Amino acid sequence: MTAGSARTSASAERLRQWAPLLVLAGLCVLIGFFNTNFYSFGNLVRLLNSAAIPIVLCMGATFIILMGSIDLSVEGVVALCAVIASLLVANDVNQVAIGLAAVPVALALGGAMGFANGWLHIKLKTPSFMTTLGMGFVGLGIATAILAGLTVRISDQTFRYLSLGRVFGIPMAVWIALASFIVAYVIQERTRFGRWIYAIGTDEVTARQAGIPIERTRILAFTLAGVFAGMAGVLAAAQFGQGCALIANGRLFTTVAAIVVGGTALSGGVGSVVNSVIGVLIVVVLANGMVLMGIQPYVQQGVQGLLIIAAVALALDRSRLAVVK
Amino acid sequence: MSDFFKGGAMRRRTFLKGAAGLAAAGAAGMTFPGLARAQTEGWTLANSLRSVANPYHATFAKGGEDFAKSVGLPYEVLVTEGNSEKGIADIKALLQRTGGKLILNVDPNDSPDARVIVEEVKKAGGYVVTQWNKPDDLHPWDFDPNYVAHMSFDGVPTAEAIANALFSAFGGEGGIVALGGILSNVPAIERKLGLDNAIAKTGGKVTLLDFQPADWNEQKAFDIMQAWLTRFGDQVKGVFAANDGMGMGALEALRQNGLAGQVPVVGIDGIDAALAAVEAGEFAGTVAWDPTWTGSMGLAIPLAHVAGKIDIAKEPKEHREFYGTGIIVTKDNIAEYKANPPKVDYNDLWGKATGQIQYRG
Repeated sequence: MTAGSARTSASAERLRQWAPLLVLAGLCVLIGFFNTNFYSFGNLVRLLNSAAIPIVLCMGATFIILMGSIDLSVEGVVALCAVIASLLVANDVNQVAIGLAAVPVALALGGAMGFANGWLHIKLKTPSFMTTLGMGFVGLGIATAILAGLTVRISDQTFRYLSLGRVFGIPMAVWIALASFIVAYVIQERTRFGRWIYAIGTDEVTARQAGIPIERTRILAFTLAGVFAGMAGVLAAAQFGQGCALIANGRLFTTVAAIVVGGTALSGGVGSVVNSVIGVLIVVVLANGMVLMGIQPYVQQGVQGLLIIAAVALALDRSRLAVVK
Repeated sequence: MSDFFKGGAMRRRTFLKGAAGLAAAGAAGMTFPGLARAQTEGWTLANSLRSVANPYHATFAKGGEDFAKSVGLPYEVLVTEGNSEKGIADIKALLQRTGGKLILNVDPNDSPDARVIVEEVKKAGGYVVTQWNKPDDLHPWDFDPNYVAHMSFDGVPTAEAIANALFSAFGGEGGIVALGGILSNVPAIERKLGLDNAIAKTGGKVTLLDFQPADWNEQKAFDIMQAWLTRFGDQVKGVFAANDGMGMGALEALRQNGLAGQVPVVGIDGIDAALAAVEAGEFAGTVAWDPTWTGSMGLAIPLAHVAGKIDIAKEPKEHREFYGTGIIVTKDNIAEYKANPPKVDYNDLWGKATGQIQYRG
């Protein structure tokens, strides 16, 4: 390899790493050009508010995708956790009112569903795609059955403070998303578990030969994703003041799209939770920006699709790509 | 296509109470008093709908169940889960199992499904009522007597009425934003048309700042409302939502910005949360459908034919293709509405029908 081509590939590599951030910055400049309100503090807060739940969801889901697996149970887990949390705080269906103690219960429930995902996937050797899809349906089914298809309304204002409350002018949900990000980042960067996830995603056979406990790591990653989904369920319930089986409708697509747009490869081993946060911001800024710029509703979906393709094309590391499937 | 029902049309407890009362009345033999037992013996009743995960269809299914109990016939609920193939296959299987002695009340997953379903039911000798979705050129009277009726709700006048309630809530002058359903859905199109009519009649006093489809999705409505607050700020005097679910999403976005109760919102469906918001002064109004009625009357009318009480082929067209009644609920009548939730009289087959279905352009 000549020195020249090495330099080119090194700069291509740098571009690839920075691509999601460049896309985000480009979008912000473009939208601000059309509507200067975009940069207002009020809009910044609104953007972060819209990004909060997707960020929490992406933190867990990124680990799964880094392993080269996928978690399709997101909507089912979020819905069931939201419904259970709603039924445990002051509400209009039952007399239970355990207040904020409902939060750890929801997290534990999410974790249990995630554990079930991982355990079934490993022990039955079923693809994560099918296992988690099934678990998602189970979650939606239970959420539907519990409420017989109806909605439970929350009257506990302390619980709703988790979304509506503000600290330093920033909504609680955003702080919780920030905390989730820090937890995920520390796990990714500072723990053996975090490194193992990359090792498994890069090459599972080598990782196994290196003595990495593949099965335990996989089950733990799914459990962790479940806990994050449980937190998202709590935030969704607090945001809308209600729990219902349909509360997470559309969340799965946003989550996976944001992770991929952020530059995490579906093939595993490449990416990070930082990328996922940028990915969420790209998706949220784009949705917000299209309304601000007054783009016709009829073309919005098309623009979104083009952006996803563009972001993935920019961010994809092709050096490890032997074949394109 | 009735994706837009994200919420319940009635308070759950009042509904359960009412249902228990009706069931008791049925058990006492008050309903269908002249019904010759032998004629209806062996028939099965069934409601086919999208999913019991949404309050509208859950209440719809319960309405059918209560009616079935009142007449002492077996009852089945079939769910399509948004899949036309599954919906039709399940209906065929049930026709097979009941040997054609099936009374089916169906909300077809998509308009074209209605024709297939009607043909299958006719072939098997059963009876069918369709709700909401059917092709415009498919009429009950062309399949006498098996295709008993088609029931729907007229979105145009309903949306116009609720839009007017919104306008008067903010003084009748200023800009509004509007959230629509999935662009290709018939109810979404009708409701947009009703809104446009209402705006046109204000003679420029009310302007539509922006219209965005939020696909009947609460979360999407929340995000769009947030962006609108950035784009239009205090120019937004009111929010029109084509269903309550999206209205609730917009309301929560307003609440996050300290504007709940200051910028009025209207929705359609009459779900619990929307009724509570009307009481709290955060919603200027909603439209309450009556899924207990659609769920039971779609079975009661064909059963009356089977029992020989009526001859459906001799009924006028406005009894074969008709609109149900939506009740506009605002702060002025919410107390009365909640005190007297809609009741269903199984013997008054067309009491709540409001005219023959119109086909627009």
